[in-house]
Amino acid sequence: MRKIKTSKISDKHYQVDMRGWVCPYPKYAVESLVKKLNNGNQMDLLVDCPSAPDDVPRVAQAMGCNVPEIIRIGGGEWKIVIIK
Amino acid sequence: MERWNKVYEKAINVFYHSVWKKTWPLWVGAVALGFANTFMFAYARALGVFPQMAMWGSWIYNLAGIKVDAPFTAVPLKPLHLDIHSMINFGIILGVAMAALISEEFKIRKEDWRGYAAALVGGILMGFGTVIMIPCNVGGFYTAIMALSLSGPVTVLGLLPGAYLGGLFLKRQVKKATDAVDFNTAPAGEPVGKTASSIQPIFGVIIGALLAVVAFVYSLQGNPKFAGLLLFGAFFGVIFQRSRLCFASAFREILISRNGTLMKWILLSIAIGTIGFAILKSQGYQPMHFVFPLGLHTVGGGFIFGIGMVIAGGCGVGILWRSAEGYVRAWIAVAAGMLSSGAWVLIYGNHVGKGWLYGKPFSLGEEFGWFWGTALVFLFLASFYIFITWVEAKK
Repeated sequence: MRKIKTSKISDKHYQVDMRGWVCPYPKYAVESLVKKLNNGNQMDLLVDCPSAPDDVPRVAQAMGCNVPEIIRIGGGEWKIVIIK
Repeated sequence: MERWNKVYEKAINVFYHSVWKKTWPLWVGAVALGFANTFMFAYARALGVFPQMAMWGSWIYNLAGIKVDAPFTAVPLKPLHLDIHSMINFGIILGVAMAALISEEFKIRKEDWRGYAAALVGGILMGFGTVIMIPCNVGGFYTAIMALSLSGPVTVLGLLPGAYLGGLFLKRQVKKATDAVDFNTAPAGEPVGKTASSIQPIFGVIIGALLAVVAFVYSLQGNPKFAGLLLFGAFFGVIFQRSRLCFASAFREILISRNGTLMKWILLSIAIGTIGFAILKSQGYQPMHFVFPLGLHTVGGGFIFGIGMVIAGGCGVGILWRSAEGYVRAWIAVAAGMLSSGAWVLIYGNHVGKGWLYGKPFSLGEEFGWFWGTALVFLFLASFYIFITWVEAKK
């Protein structure tokens, strides 16, 4: 099975690396990732498919999350900040 | 001077930021695509990409010493640079590469072997889907409906369930991976930060210049239509890359996420094109252009194509333009699609549209008159719209 790299940046702050997962995987993944996240915690989702910066925040916001920032981290890569 | 500074600021905002830095709203892409397709039809021919890719596949077989004719008689075997239809595909590839680089969205996107296996299977399914359904999603659904071919609306009966099945497979794959995620046991890690600013836009401008040079050379050689179709292709490429207008996603999301926003904009795009095509065709201009054989093969082929396009990560044009964005998955899908469709004449023993498998072309315009034919297409578009809204209403 393919793994999604998850790491802990600090208390209540995680990073989920989905670079290498093409669309629509990040959009489908974010729903269950948000469910696993505790309230008040932050998840930085790293993606490299150009539709994800549009699609992923929409799903997260529909689940009541805050998406304060979408940062372009390099050519064709983005970091989507999601706070539950 | 201050006035000119203002003009400069506004111009940069429109011509640089809105076009190359922000994603275009879907409706902009959809409307642009509808008009561009009509203009290109008036100029030479309408948009479709897979018959050319199938010819490329046959061309490769012939290079390897295997004699096989190209499956679509409309796109006969030729050296690729002398094939006018292939200009659209080359234009799309160059246009997407230019747009992706200027907007700093290019990346060689590698995956693990599972993604590549999905691309291989998806590409093969699309290759066979295209010769059975006739032709691909954009040609057989999008353009065919505009062209008042009854086959166009019928492809939905195959494409929609096919895309749903493909979507279930993708969801299952990612669910397994998300199930294994546990935030409580996640190892400590460093946050990934911004990398230095990219030089991608420079390469984008170089590709744009290359495009202009190639178009210029073709027109100098007395082939202005080659140059024209290359530039049309590039314009389509820019539309697809900047607006993320993805036909595979449009079909997939209706039933998977009960979200038909994308397909609804595509229906508007088809409505625009239908008016243009009907006006041209009613005056005797290529009345049977993009009117395809209709039969059970339309549904069966559409079903195969629908599964294929979703697991490959894009329909015919989708894998073509993603290949220019650096998706390795798309490279494999394009190769698999080319080589499977390119072998069709060897496998089936006849060309696409001929023999026992295929029905007869049915033009709504020729059969019912161009006014009533157009009215029937609009009735179909409205019904599909209502169906999508009905699916969405259960959310």
